[in-house]
Amino acid sequence: MEMVFVAAALIIGLGALGAGIGFGLLGGKLLESTARQPEMASQLQTKAFIMAGLLDAVPMIGVGIAMYLIFVVAG
Amino acid sequence: MNSRQSRITRVPLGRWLAIEFTSSVIISLLWVLHSPLAGYSAFVGGLIFIVPNAWFAHRVYRYQGARSAHLVVGDLFRAESTKIALTAVFFAAVFTLMEPVYVPALLFTFAVMVLVGTASRWLIRPQPQR
Repeated sequence: MEMVFVAAALIIGLGALGAGIGFGLLGGKLLESTARQPEMASQLQTKAFIMAGLLDAVPMIGVGIAMYLIFVVAG
Repeated sequence: MNSRQSRITRVPLGRWLAIEFTSSVIISLLWVLHSPLAGYSAFVGGLIFIVPNAWFAHRVYRYQGARSAHLVVGDLFRAESTKIALTAVFFAAVFTLMEPVYVPALLFTFAVMVLVGTASRWLIRPQPQR
């Protein structure tokens, strides 16, 4: 049963790690490109918003599966 | 400066959310054919995606423009953290408080809604306006 909690922790932890790296790169590039071309700021913000949706798809599904493991399989 | 670049971009947040909600209702109606409990669970799974996503969209577009770029990026990080935390809390609440629940319908609808949400943002591009 302990392995279920380890699996859930790995899913959430690795998902958060990937999302953190991705959002760090995305935010850094957004700041950099806005500083280079301030007139495109609103378009860049929208593109960042779209990319954020792509970026957090896998961690979100991972959170759902991890909660299922914790509260249904182990619970 | 190119005139096209200086246009303000109108973001169809309402349209995105309406498409997500409609998709959730359609998937729930398909699950109702299996059983009413499955349809109810599927609708809850759709709501678990839509509510944190609406919060995320609201927070990200609180600030706009080049002068507020640092505030936009800060809000992007905070909104994403809150979105994932809200999703985890909603799942935990459903699995502990909602009894009975048809888990396959709940998780399937949630996964489909994640893909639908991403695809709708990608397909319905914001329209630049003067």
